[in-house]
Amino acid sequence: MNFRTMQAANRRKTIGLLISMGVLVWVVVYAAMTYFGSSTAGIVPIAVGISLVSVWGAYYGSDKLVLTMTGAKLIQESDNPKLFDLIHEVTIASGLPMPKVAIVIDSAPNAFATGRNPEHALIAFTTGILDAMDRDQLQGVIAHEMAHVANRDTLVSAVAATTAGAIAILSDMLTRMMFFGGGRDRNREGGGNPLALVVSLVILILAPLAAMMLKSAISRKRESLADATAVSFTRNPAGLRSALEVLAADSTVVHQRSTAVAHIWIESPLDAKSVSKLFSTHPPIAERIAVLKSMESLG
Amino acid sequence: MELIIILGVIALIAVFVISQYNRLIRLNITVDEAWAQIEVQLKRRADLIPNLVETVKGYAKHEQSTFDAVVTARAKATTATTVADTAAADGMLTQALRGLLAVAEAYPDLKASTNFLSLQEELSTTENKVAFSRQFYNDNVRSLNTAVKTIPSSFFAGFAKVTEREFYEVEDPQDRKAPNVTF
Repeated sequence: MNFRTMQAANRRKTIGLLISMGVLVWVVVYAAMTYFGSSTAGIVPIAVGISLVSVWGAYYGSDKLVLTMTGAKLIQESDNPKLFDLIHEVTIASGLPMPKVAIVIDSAPNAFATGRNPEHALIAFTTGILDAMDRDQLQGVIAHEMAHVANRDTLVSAVAATTAGAIAILSDMLTRMMFFGGGRDRNREGGGNPLALVVSLVILILAPLAAMMLKSAISRKRESLADATAVSFTRNPAGLRSALEVLAADSTVVHQRSTAVAHIWIESPLDAKSVSKLFSTHPPIAERIAVLKSMESLG
Repeated sequence: MELIIILGVIALIAVFVISQYNRLIRLNITVDEAWAQIEVQLKRRADLIPNLVETVKGYAKHEQSTFDAVVTARAKATTATTVADTAAADGMLTQALRGLLAVAEAYPDLKASTNFLSLQEELSTTENKVAFSRQFYNDNVRSLNTAVKTIPSSFFAGFAKVTEREFYEVEDPQDRKAPNVTF
């Protein structure tokens, strides 16, 4: 499989997952209406609205917000001309505009990209990654981050977060209604099928979990896609592969103030062992290395 | 009712024609931009060369033939205009520069000089930029040529005055050399 078919496959899977999210919202609404009666349909726009406001505020201010959440500092070309040379090389290879560049003072090697579109992109590196990597490896990392920018992953994750958030709020509101006598509607409509009621209840309780899993699955697909897109920029899978090997060999972890931005880093800042595969925002690093190796053998 | 349907169909066809036309024009502009980027990077490299040659000369006076090769290749590269000529001169210059850097390997004083080190970094990033702008250009030429040759966009190519473009192919003797196998 070369990087072109890989990009196409990852895009298809993302679309499939986003559609599953939509279906999940619909199932939750249907379950709510079965359990509480059709009058509850009115709370759906409220839940979606709350989620929209919280996530899209973050989306528009993503570059500034992430800077404060990660403690990254913007730098100029004169601060690190070599890094800017490398980034400029990747912008030429990708046809993207020059992003803003930031540094996080942290000895753990890591990097991330954010920004709502290529014109507002920001990529950041820890001081650890700049020290640990040679030219080819760093170029692979930059290409991976610029691939996130090119694939508009900030937008994709904003959409995923909005839907997952809406489902969580909806389920939370409905569970409260259940305890505070919101179920009265049910009596008025003459009960209903008890099996359907139990199933609806189970769906309402499990939905936020399913939404979280879908959100993580989307994030993992976007990481694989970014690896493939990075290779389409540099045509050098070996560079990114050896960069990932450096990251895999290093056991230090970025001191994160918040897990909310865990998904944006090239290597997950959460301890991989404590997060089960279903909820992980990144594919296992060994898997990513193996995929890049298979691309290398294609020549 | 029939009128609405007819108008709808006409509108759909118009949208289709406009989008096909615009796509071809967009592809053509991207190829032009990619070409301009190649020229920018080649110019950057040509500007670096006199400085680099002077620096190497300061330490290695007896390598006149290598210097001459670089200077001739640079002259050719700066005068070329067509895609094929530029590509050929670019390949020659890359080759000559490789020779110059190989010469530098033999002079430890030169290799240690800060001036040479910064020039070397400049040159390697410029070589990468040249290579990437070439790759970006060729990718865009590939999309344009595919659009010009495949249905339905091929129907609009003449109307949009968009034709197939030439690939930027660098003749690099090192790429074609068969690997040496010794037992």
